[in-house]
Amino acid sequence: MKVLTKAATAGALLALMAGTSVLAQETIKIGVLVPTTGSEATYGQDMANAVTIAQAEINKAGGVLGKQLSMVVGDDACDPQQSVNAATKLVSQGVVAVVGGYCSGATLPTLKIFGDAKIPFVITAANSTKLIPANPGNAFMINSTGDDQATKAVEFLGAKGIKSIAIVNEGDAYSQDLATLTQKSWEAAGNKVVDFETVNKGEQDYSAIVTAIKAANPDAVFWTAYYADGGLLIRQLRQSGYQGVIAVGDGSNSTKLFDIAGKAAEGVFAFSNPTAEFLPAAKDFTATYNSQFGTAPGPYAPLTYDGMELIADTMAKAKSTDGAALITALKATDSPGWLAGAIKFTDKNTLARSNFIVLVGKDGAWARADQ
Amino acid sequence: MTPRDTASDRLRDRIAARFESPALRWGGIGLILVLMAVLPAALGQYATVIMTNALLYVVLALGLNVVVGFAGLLDLGYAAFFAVGAYTIGILTLDFGVNFWLALPVAVLAAAIAGVIIGGPTLRLRSDYLAIVTLGFGEIVRFSARNLAITGKASGLSGIGQPWLFGWHIATPTDFYFVFCALAILAVVVSLRLENSRLGRAWLYVRHDEDVAEAMGINRVAVKLAAYVTGAIFAAIGGAFFAANLGAISPESFSFTQSVLILMAVILGGMGKIPGVILGAFIVILGPELLRNLGELRLMVFAVMLLLIMLFRPSGIWPKRGVRS
Amino acid sequence: MSVFDIISHQLVNGLVLGSFYALVALGYTMIFGVIKLLNFAHGDLYMVGGFLGFLSLSAVASVVGSDWPGIFIAMFLSMIAVGCIGVVIERVAYHPMLAAPRLSILITALAVSLVLQNTVLSLTGGQYTAFKTDLGFGGINLGSLFISYNQMVLVATSGVLMIALHLFVTRTQFGRAMRAVSIDMDMSQLLGINVPVIIAVTFFIGSALAAAAGTMAGAYYGSIWYFMGFLIGLKAFTAAVIGGIGSIPGAMLGGLILGLLEAFGTQIPFIGSEWKDVFSFAVLILVLVLKPTGLLGKSEQERM
Repeated sequence: MKVLTKAATAGALLALMAGTSVLAQETIKIGVLVPTTGSEATYGQDMANAVTIAQAEINKAGGVLGKQLSMVVGDDACDPQQSVNAATKLVSQGVVAVVGGYCSGATLPTLKIFGDAKIPFVITAANSTKLIPANPGNAFMINSTGDDQATKAVEFLGAKGIKSIAIVNEGDAYSQDLATLTQKSWEAAGNKVVDFETVNKGEQDYSAIVTAIKAANPDAVFWTAYYADGGLLIRQLRQSGYQGVIAVGDGSNSTKLFDIAGKAAEGVFAFSNPTAEFLPAAKDFTATYNSQFGTAPGPYAPLTYDGMELIADTMAKAKSTDGAALITALKATDSPGWLAGAIKFTDKNTLARSNFIVLVGKDGAWARADQ
Repeated sequence: MTPRDTASDRLRDRIAARFESPALRWGGIGLILVLMAVLPAALGQYATVIMTNALLYVVLALGLNVVVGFAGLLDLGYAAFFAVGAYTIGILTLDFGVNFWLALPVAVLAAAIAGVIIGGPTLRLRSDYLAIVTLGFGEIVRFSARNLAITGKASGLSGIGQPWLFGWHIATPTDFYFVFCALAILAVVVSLRLENSRLGRAWLYVRHDEDVAEAMGINRVAVKLAAYVTGAIFAAIGGAFFAANLGAISPESFSFTQSVLILMAVILGGMGKIPGVILGAFIVILGPELLRNLGELRLMVFAVMLLLIMLFRPSGIWPKRGVRS
Repeated sequence: MSVFDIISHQLVNGLVLGSFYALVALGYTMIFGVIKLLNFAHGDLYMVGGFLGFLSLSAVASVVGSDWPGIFIAMFLSMIAVGCIGVVIERVAYHPMLAAPRLSILITALAVSLVLQNTVLSLTGGQYTAFKTDLGFGGINLGSLFISYNQMVLVATSGVLMIALHLFVTRTQFGRAMRAVSIDMDMSQLLGINVPVIIAVTFFIGSALAAAAGTMAGAYYGSIWYFMGFLIGLKAFTAAVIGGIGSIPGAMLGGLILGLLEAFGTQIPFIGSEWKDVFSFAVLILVLVLKPTGLLGKSEQERM
């Protein structure tokens, strides 16, 4: 009896040390690779929160294969070197699948690590097209890629009767990729890119570029990078009297754009992956998120929630937690999805449909522009 | 002894003095080698990867130490040479299909040439101007890597293959750990030899008093250039294996912050002192891993440490050895 | 837009940018003048000035509003606070190091810069802070050239600050003492000048000017973040070197020249704007190598 108590105490202690529940031996570990420190920490934390909600719901409904799910967060700090460390740590902690991936640059070198370990990786935010050729076959992107966004941008601006555009990027992997892709498909559609500019992050003064843009006189300006500098550019464009259309990519889909650009952001179009406020299926999720974390879900929360659900669902269907079996099962996914719509993959493991929507700045907030 | 010496200094000195005995010193070195050899098996893959990173920093910090510690030149753009090494390997192996071992000497040569190009005209400048010039050079290299098609623009290069060595495919993290062990040992040996060489003494003179050194017949600029190029070569070798290890490189890995971190490794431990620099490299890499929850405060802690060390212990954490007068 | 329009637009852009550069460059050059130190932390004082200006404005906005009058009060408060920070930095970090090798004091300056940056980074989480003001978009049209009222106020304020500094340095007892210290510190001490006080005043003024630029930049552009001092610090240093480091008129001239170079630098044919900073740094390196004394600087015999 005494021995038993001792063993139980030791087990409980061990479980506590591992930071999981008493049933530690019985759980299936899922890795969450997101930046929880650094400049992108807000997004990473948001994604981790979404996984927390999904995990709790799955466990409440009885878990998967008779076991509970537990999550292990790896902080990639949006930095390629740190992400390698974090990914290796996840592998050595025995996770059976990984969900997450926010910064494309930091996600890229981890593909090989999870690939070598035969661990499926569901990427829920990072969407640079550079990830596709680097994928050893174990990664699945449930966010639409830069290609889809460029296509959407060309479609939408074309439908507005716009003939000439200026494209401005910030010189980082994500925005340069989107800028080049848009330039290609815009020109392929027989239109003109009259100005292509690169600014530096945190530069503040974009007046010289604004003058160059005004001199080229495009019908529209497309900013492909993040809200922080985008807000400044939009403000300076409008201050200088530019009257044309301004559109921004999904990296600028933040209400903070309105804080920085002020009134200048009214009427700005944004291409965006589906966010919770525009997803009818995400009502309960939004409520849960709000009550649990005291704030509204961020831009990648629904997709990340779906990523976790997808992993659980696939494990249940494959009746296995074996990496190779899961990868095969994921390839065959044909699911109506959870919050953000149907999931089905192309032969390159990218989402088979484009999930981009168009928003417009209205009274200091985003509203749907394409409905 | 300087008046700042404390009881702890004396204790460290005494411990250090113990290691003057050859038997103990060789025993110590043997022990370290054995520990290095068994580490991957004993601590698992995660620790191996972190240690690989620390060993890379040992190589880089020892290289920068030649410039800052030996020759007394402040270089704020050291990551540029690291980038030259990494990108040369990436471009040659990916675009031209060159074998890694053939590309390696080219990478070293490229970094040496870069060192001569930037060092040649600027090493005559005042030391603070030189610091700014190196900073500017570092940024020029990073911006160029970001803008040029051949360096893969902002996304960088990926899919860099891993080298074979006499039938051994260097592929797993453990393989690379052993490669970096060898590189770090090589860097330590070369640094020790350099320190005690004719050139090493010339650096010492130039560092202490340029004018006197010149009066003694030392060619000031040539000696500084030698330090600069040596440092560049260390960085290029580190960069080459870094590229092969990660398989993907991008301009973010070669930012100003990277240069500052390497410089911190040199200064925290004690610039000019080889064991101190090694200690510094381990602090810079292992510190944040051990204190994961520090998160954002990581650089802050280092910056405060750097400031305190400069103000209260300019010779670094490692004890002063043999300074007895 | 005609070529003439583009040129006159870029002239205005360069003038606005150049007046920020000049204000920050003045501090570099003054501090370099008296203690021959390249103060790496100077750009970060501009950043801290932006944040303190933001906090001051939030505090006074309810009374005076957040249009130009409020911004000026905030700017004044921020200048005093950052001036004091500058004096403390000099006393705590640089003063004990004045006799140490130059390498040590340079690394100390770098450490101070990193401490300032990372303090603000950990306080703000690395996020941009929106600097909200009530500044309007109004302005006047001169033909096709549009100049906003904000741009006019900015350039005028910088001008007033620079003229005040010039008068202070050339017309007052203090200014004369400052110039004497910059020529020969030991000799000035012998002549009875209170050198530590002069150094403190120099740090105060230099830092305050950076804070003025930081607050105005934050209000004008609309956002501030912890890394905003890095680039402008480098650029202002370039400006100081172009004008001749140690020379106050040189810093003003250098700032304006660099602002104009950058504005027109984005429109060099066949070279995209992504090369703009490479262009700035190349100019810096060339000036340092070819004419280290700059346009208005005196040649210096001292080495190291």
